[in-house]
Amino acid sequence: MSIDRRQLMAAGAAAALAGTLLPARAQDKVVRFGMAQDFTVVYTFVTAEYSQGQRDYFSLVNERGGVSGWKIATEIVDTGNAPQRGIEAYERFKRNGVVLVDPLSTPVSRALVSRALQDKINLVTTFSGRSDAADGEVFPYVLPLSASYWSQAAILVEYMARQDKDLKGKKIAFVHIDTPFGREPLPLLQALARRRGFELLPFAYAPPGNEQSAVWTQLRRARPDWTLIWGGGVGQTVSVKEALRNGIAADRIASVVWLSESDMKVVGPAQAKGVLKYEGAASGREPKIIQDILREVVAKGKGAGPQDLVGTSYYNIGVMAAATMVEGVRKALEITGGGAVTAEALNQGLRNIKGFTAEGLIPPLSTTPKDHQGGGMGRVAQWDGSRWVPKTDWLASDQDAVWDLIRASSAEFKKTGT
Amino acid sequence: MDLLLFTELAINGALVGLMYALVALGIVLVYKASGYANLAQGAFAMAGGYLCLLLASAAGLPLWAAALLSLAVLFAGGMLVERFLLRRMIGQPVVMVIMLTLGLEILLRGLVPGLLGSTVKPLDLGIPQTPLLLGEILVNRAYLAGGGLALVLIVGAVLFFNSPLGVRMRAVSDDKIAAWAVGIRVEHVIAVAWGLAGVSAGAAGILWGSVQGVDWTLSLLLLKALAIAILGGLDSVPGVLAAGLVVGIAESVAAGVLDPLIGGGTRDVVASAIILLTILVRPHGLFGSEHIERV
Amino acid sequence: MFYRAAGIRHTDYRQTRQLWPLAADRRLLAAIAALALAAPLLLSPLALNSYLTPLLLWTSAALGLNLLMGGAGQVHLGYGAVMAIGAYGTVHLVRAGLPFELALLAGGLLAALIGTLFGAAALRVKGLYLAVSTLALQYLTDFVIVHVPAISGGSQASLQVPALRLLGQPVTSDAGLYFVALGACALLTVWMLNIRRTSFGRALAAIREKDFAAEILGVSAFRYKLLAFWVSSFVGGVAGALYAFCYYKAVSPEQFHIELSIQLLATVIVGGMGSVLGCYFGAALILLAPPLLNHALAALSRQYGGLIGNDLLTHAPLILYGALIVGFLLFEPLGLAKIYDNLRKSLLVWPFRHARR
Repeated sequence: MSIDRRQLMAAGAAAALAGTLLPARAQDKVVRFGMAQDFTVVYTFVTAEYSQGQRDYFSLVNERGGVSGWKIATEIVDTGNAPQRGIEAYERFKRNGVVLVDPLSTPVSRALVSRALQDKINLVTTFSGRSDAADGEVFPYVLPLSASYWSQAAILVEYMARQDKDLKGKKIAFVHIDTPFGREPLPLLQALARRRGFELLPFAYAPPGNEQSAVWTQLRRARPDWTLIWGGGVGQTVSVKEALRNGIAADRIASVVWLSESDMKVVGPAQAKGVLKYEGAASGREPKIIQDILREVVAKGKGAGPQDLVGTSYYNIGVMAAATMVEGVRKALEITGGGAVTAEALNQGLRNIKGFTAEGLIPPLSTTPKDHQGGGMGRVAQWDGSRWVPKTDWLASDQDAVWDLIRASSAEFKKTGT
Repeated sequence: MDLLLFTELAINGALVGLMYALVALGIVLVYKASGYANLAQGAFAMAGGYLCLLLASAAGLPLWAAALLSLAVLFAGGMLVERFLLRRMIGQPVVMVIMLTLGLEILLRGLVPGLLGSTVKPLDLGIPQTPLLLGEILVNRAYLAGGGLALVLIVGAVLFFNSPLGVRMRAVSDDKIAAWAVGIRVEHVIAVAWGLAGVSAGAAGILWGSVQGVDWTLSLLLLKALAIAILGGLDSVPGVLAAGLVVGIAESVAAGVLDPLIGGGTRDVVASAIILLTILVRPHGLFGSEHIERV
Repeated sequence: MFYRAAGIRHTDYRQTRQLWPLAADRRLLAAIAALALAAPLLLSPLALNSYLTPLLLWTSAALGLNLLMGGAGQVHLGYGAVMAIGAYGTVHLVRAGLPFELALLAGGLLAALIGTLFGAAALRVKGLYLAVSTLALQYLTDFVIVHVPAISGGSQASLQVPALRLLGQPVTSDAGLYFVALGACALLTVWMLNIRRTSFGRALAAIREKDFAAEILGVSAFRYKLLAFWVSSFVGGVAGALYAFCYYKAVSPEQFHIELSIQLLATVIVGGMGSVLGCYFGAALILLAPPLLNHALAALSRQYGGLIGNDLLTHAPLILYGALIVGFLLFEPLGLAKIYDNLRKSLLVWPFRHARR
């Protein structure tokens, strides 16, 4: 007999593991969301805090009795940015009756788009995914519910124009990670360069961006008036450090939304004073909704993660996403009259949000069945050494140029399915 | 092409190359002593960065003490890996050992950020951020410190091979059976080689962690280290130095010259291209010794 | 008692060369085939879609790599790139109007062509050097795909896959795609099993053991190494294309990165190098264990709240995966196939025990 005890134990463990796969018991008055996000590979810099923010907000809602008695349940799974694991998680969510999926990963969300459209399950892609999904007619079940990267770039350029009174003849350097995410704003920036008369100087660095000295050496020689950095995680911190080392003034550096307090700590909080970024949700602990979370969830020990991360930029983006989803549930319940919240009902709810501000956390978000972006608003915030301070009001800019691009891209999808 | 630009790219590239070479030093030490390549070097570097932070924050030690202590822990870690993992694989085909080190890399990449937190953390070695200008040429101060330290460690490794333990290591790498026959404790020597590999990886991890912040991407240093190790010769320590300079300068200059033409991202291609060219033209590298397979 | 080997007498060469000489083996195979054909009726759509179909596709790819690594003894760390070439090639050809069957073969040939170029490095070096050069080729292919928008499908680097059409009829249902994957996997399995009985298989075995000795005997190492890369890259290309058509439905470069190559390598090694059945076992373990663990941990965390830190929870599949690889290599280097083999050998003589190792 050559099956030894080791192998028997392994078989027993496998059987026990399989036993935990019994499907979730059906409970009444529960709305299920599926969060299949990338905790371990590319989006590590944001996902932990984002997920913590989402879960804390859902806890807050549930503590208060849910939305008209309907509680929110989440299933959280790591996809490692692998489309295949995303698909597997999605299929499992479907079986468990999930009505909304949040992948927070561009490759995974792109892989899920055709499935979501076919199965009619809501796919919410906060600050990620296909920018052209803002076109609600072509993508009824894919909802960014946040400013696309094109809108963000437009707002940053608008801020630069306000500071310099006129951008004609100026040089804007665009330092980006050499991936589709990094290259995405290029068409819009080129359109804006034509419109406003500035010269766009693109510089790409190889992912993940931990070594960018060659890029900044050249950039220094080009002497740009403004520098726009577009990356995530390691690439961003190294970009800011290199920029400062090469003598670029901190208040002439503007960044995409992915720049947080932890990134600034890595750069050096005092040195990075003056760096600007796009902000889609207020950061810090002042907003009422964060105060509520601190009081009703964290103080009672029900927080989903370390307390010092409550109120950071990415945490608040997570709260923003969660709050928008819950607002969609609320609207859906209005439509169904208190009945079960199906994916279709939630879809109607999410597409008819009017002026939602999450009690002052975000700019007023208004979606329509044609516009899933919600207005493309945001503001520019500046690092003052310890926190992000807003420098403008909530604004949107050049949305006509943005929508030209959105419509061109979604028409392409409608025609060829790409 | 602008000579000043070229010089600046070359200088910074050379310094970065030296910092990569520190990781490659570990690969070469292990290959020299035991004949296996350690593809978990990147993960060791990441572990070094994380350990240093953990010791500094949890035990409240000043950073230099935490760094030294984490290097000591990695020395022990390298020896443990050799003792418990590699020794069982003696005699197995080389692809199994490669897979074992890859498996170890995946395990560490999951375990270390899983236990110690996956958000990026700062590691401040106290190097000022102000630019250092030599005339018109800007030298990155962090790279200067990192490259200088790496140079010191690599030269130290070269000198080490003249010490009694180093001579024994050379004997083991030459012919294990003969070394055994003259009374050298081969297992000890190999274990020490792995320990030193852990130390060099840890030092590189701490240096790179101060440049880019500590998170799992530190384990991506592996590819560059492999390119350097292969170009220099897998069993040559002076080769690591030379190859580090070559790879660093080539990458930096290529990124500076080719990126505007191709549109970016040529840095990683340079490492792959160097590996391929070396293997096709001169497989044993610039300074490596030719491997003779006996019938 | 179950695997009666007694009383089997062969009367001609064809019988001795049978793939499955024991009747019990043949019965077991028939039962598995019947279950596989009935799977769409027996399993839930989730299990079919997310577990069985990817398992079959993964096994198909592993079979190609197994031929190269277990059969010919070469190391290949760039198999993901080969699959990518097959997938992108086939998708572009189908989009250009070629019928699916032809495009599949053409994609496979394209992958074979470029894959053999990878293999040219094998003619000069072995072992670690070969591994590293295939690794370098993987990164180069990634770079080329991402930077040539014509290949990768525009600036968003995502290409929608047209519907699969067999003999002109579109196949879009889950069951249909599953049967396509099943058919391909079955064909590949029989092909790989058969290679061992052919002169090609024996030549590969000779090269695997000691290539210069084989050279002396007249088996051209040059020719057979290149052929091994050719065949295995063809299989890889076809598997990659099927993966895109039957499962992903949209190709993007991230799907074929180095992680895929390492996972396939782990599949072949954990399953048992050189064993066809091992590919199935390895695929099942490597593909299915991490998500199962994911869900088990999620269930545990729902019950016990925040006992396990979130970072640890989300990294647990990686830890399991690494531990599996290390564990198998340390304790059972011959893989799952060896464990199955032990079981089978003991069943051969059950209830007697004289087969004990």
